[in-house]
Amino acid sequence: MKPMDFYEYLKYNAEPLFDEAVGHVRLVAISIGIALVVGCALGVLAHRSARTRPVILAVSSTLLTIPSLALFALAIPLLGLGTPPAVVALVLYALLPIVRNTVVGLASVDQNVLRAARGMGIGSWRRFARIELPLAWPVVLAGVRVSTQIVVGIAAIGALVNGPGLGNEIFRGLRSLGSPFALNFVLGGTLGIVVVALLFDAMFILLRRFTTARGIR
Amino acid sequence: MTTSTPTETTEPQTGPEPAEDTADVGATAVRRTRRKLVLRWMGMPALLALAFGALYLWVSGQELDSIEKRTLNASALTQRVIEHLQLAAVSTLIVIVIAIPLGILATRRSARYVAPVLLALGNLGQAIPSFGLITIVVLLAGVGFKSVVFGLVAYSALPILRNTMVGLQQVDQTLVKSARGMGMSPMKTLLRVELPLAVPVVLAGVRTALILNVGTATLATFFGVKALGYVIFQGIQLDRTPVLIVGAVMASGLALLVDYLAGVVEELLTPRGL
Repeated sequence: MKPMDFYEYLKYNAEPLFDEAVGHVRLVAISIGIALVVGCALGVLAHRSARTRPVILAVSSTLLTIPSLALFALAIPLLGLGTPPAVVALVLYALLPIVRNTVVGLASVDQNVLRAARGMGIGSWRRFARIELPLAWPVVLAGVRVSTQIVVGIAAIGALVNGPGLGNEIFRGLRSLGSPFALNFVLGGTLGIVVVALLFDAMFILLRRFTTARGIR
Repeated sequence: MTTSTPTETTEPQTGPEPAEDTADVGATAVRRTRRKLVLRWMGMPALLALAFGALYLWVSGQELDSIEKRTLNASALTQRVIEHLQLAAVSTLIVIVIAIPLGILATRRSARYVAPVLLALGNLGQAIPSFGLITIVVLLAGVGFKSVVFGLVAYSALPILRNTMVGLQQVDQTLVKSARGMGMSPMKTLLRVELPLAVPVVLAGVRTALILNVGTATLATFFGVKALGYVIFQGIQLDRTPVLIVGAVMASGLALLVDYLAGVVEELLTPRGL
């Protein structure tokens, strides 16, 4: 039997590959969404209180040092198999860049601007939502972008805990090691992930343009 | 730099990304420095000792069946740790030997058109997932220690290459000029002025590569090398939670320990003037 070339493989597997890519994107989007909320909250907390700052930064940096396979595996006894353990592990991985950039972004806001706002009688909540956060936002968004890059790649290993995504295609290739099709599966999964990563990156360029406050664009 | 981690050095060259700024954010209270220093150097070893102690007590309190005993015994686990460290050490050494000279070459004047291309290619390459990359290498080169090392090298070369280039590029050019004006040869300028000034950034890259390798080495179990990932995967496949937890905690502990030691070495190797 003649081994299928990569083009033929793509032609016959376009549909399942696309489904896996959609699963991959969805997994990453959910994880980054959660990480953005949690990470921003932790970042604001770390910015406000000097006491918690080193702890929050140290914990989130420790999380990123833990090998991905170990973190996915540790989620299994708690959450079983499937999407939940994958999401939890990915959220934990995504935290550090978001938290750190939130802290740095908030610290870079000019204190005089905030004092002026206070003098104008703007309340603390509105000061945060209308002035501090918009000014820090480009830096926060840069952190989210870094997180997304990391998570898109690590999500491939989520297939190990029966998570969705293109990692399944790589595992399929790994299981058929030695067969002439193995390389096609692995290439399909890997290149698919590269495409997903580039699409996310392009999205962030647009997002940055449209969500940055007009005055600091 | 209590928070040195992979991403801290991922993008030292792009504008808004704060690369090392976090250190300054918290450096206001001088009187707390002492306590901070103690926390910084003693915190991680204490945490690891606690985690390993708890793990040991928990496992020795468990009734292990014959399958669990096969993976969870001192000699087997020691062998896993040794293979894990071998993978990480060999691949990191190879990466250092390849990527630092390459980074130096790429920042020489004669190569100034190559450098941006190299960085752009590297950034693009970062989108390739480690797992896919190593699987491709193994499919092409065969299962075993050498191919896994090859895959790890391919994956972890970028941080060192990039940090070497960025580290050398950020050296104040007037210093280089004055060194040349004092009659130093280009080689001597490189060795005595440029490289020492670039050391902190280069070391951060080496540390990042090392951590990447220690982490990614857990995947070696899929490619016929029984590092600590083997223990984790056995736990998953055979549905034995103690095995899974021991593997995962040991792999994590090892990564954190290596990161901690790398941080100590980083501190010691940084030239005193900086």
